[in-house]
Amino acid sequence: TAAAPRPWRLFGAMCLLRLPRITQPLEKEEEEMAALMGQIELEKSHYSDHEIRKLEEEEQLRRRKESMYDDDDEAPGKTVIMAQDLEDKWEQKLLQFKAAPRITDADKNNNRTSLNRKLDSNLMLLVKQKVGNQELWLLPQVEWQPGETLRSTAERAMATFLGDRIQAKILGNAPYGIYKYKFPRAIRTEDNVGAKVFFFKAFLQSSDLSQTELKEDYLWVTKDELGDYLKSEYLKKVNRFLLD
Amino acid sequence: PRRAQPKKKKKVDVKKEQAQKDRMKKKIRKLEKAAPEMIPIEDFITPLKYSDSNRVRSLPPLSLEESERRVLLMKKWCLFKQKQDEAEKKAIQSLVEAQQEALKELRLESEELYQAAIRRDEGLFPFERDGPNYTPPLPGYDPPEGKCVDITKVYTQ
Repeated sequence: TAAAPRPWRLFGAMCLLRLPRITQPLEKEEEEMAALMGQIELEKSHYSDHEIRKLEEEEQLRRRKESMYDDDDEAPGKTVIMAQDLEDKWEQKLLQFKAAPRITDADKNNNRTSLNRKLDSNLMLLVKQKVGNQELWLLPQVEWQPGETLRSTAERAMATFLGDRIQAKILGNAPYGIYKYKFPRAIRTEDNVGAKVFFFKAFLQSSDLSQTELKEDYLWVTKDELGDYLKSEYLKKVNRFLLD
Repeated sequence: PRRAQPKKKKKVDVKKEQAQKDRMKKKIRKLEKAAPEMIPIEDFITPLKYSDSNRVRSLPPLSLEESERRVLLMKKWCLFKQKQDEAEKKAIQSLVEAQQEALKELRLESEELYQAAIRRDEGLFPFERDGPNYTPPLPGYDPPEGKCVDITKVYTQ
């Protein structure tokens, strides 16, 4: 029951974040501190069973060498597994295992449409949309229709570009940011001064997007790369609600 | 004789059994009256085999340069963490400001949309997520077979 219809058109936009899969590399101070903490822990600790066994066996070996192979008669026939051998075996096993690389192929090709890029930072979805008579890179947005809440507008925006099967956790009912702009004077009327775009945030939970067909051009970019695609005013507003 | 003997046996048995039952009941009552024993916390009790003197590590003592380096590193770490914390707090502050501004504008637009926006989202918490690892998951990796046997001691009071 509004007094007079407001002249602003409402849009709901969704900022879909793919959370990082691997840890970020440590800073220089963090690495130094980690080394120092390890050293202090080593100094304050006592010997473990394995280390005591290793020391005793080294002692035994030394004594055997010094005493000119006196007790050779008890050694042959028995194969004693030394702690050192165990350690070597474990080392070999570790070297045989090859983990997946942290820098993927998509990183090397700089393929910005793939989700496997930059696994240690947040990636967000940008879509090319037609606004007015311009084709712009924007966060997926769709106009609000009366009868739905803004959050469902944002969900609809996500569904239009990524399909129904997408699983995302939307963080709350409230918008995270707003971008207000006035239409250029040519199309501005009494009822249609400008538009307000409300941004919502969601975390992407389904890791497999092969079933979705994106009709428009899309990109998955990090916060630093947003500047390559978004206009400066829009970018400023978007940056306010993005944590690095 | 036949009439008397079985009866005697029964009486004596019954009395003995009664006395035994009473003694048992007294013991049970005494045990129950005693305060319940505390459940020992296994982590706080060092097993005796770790207090042997041959377990103590023998390392050369710290040199002066080393201890100075450590102190300076701790101070640098303190500063680093302070800057990191300040940056985080600033980011959160800007997040909250942006949200307040958005809600203010929404209120100007329509009251009902605003009320719908400030409603609590029940489905959000409890929120669970597997944290980031050091390397991404290897596709087609077959972990080695094994069985995990739980040997924690369970105490009942």
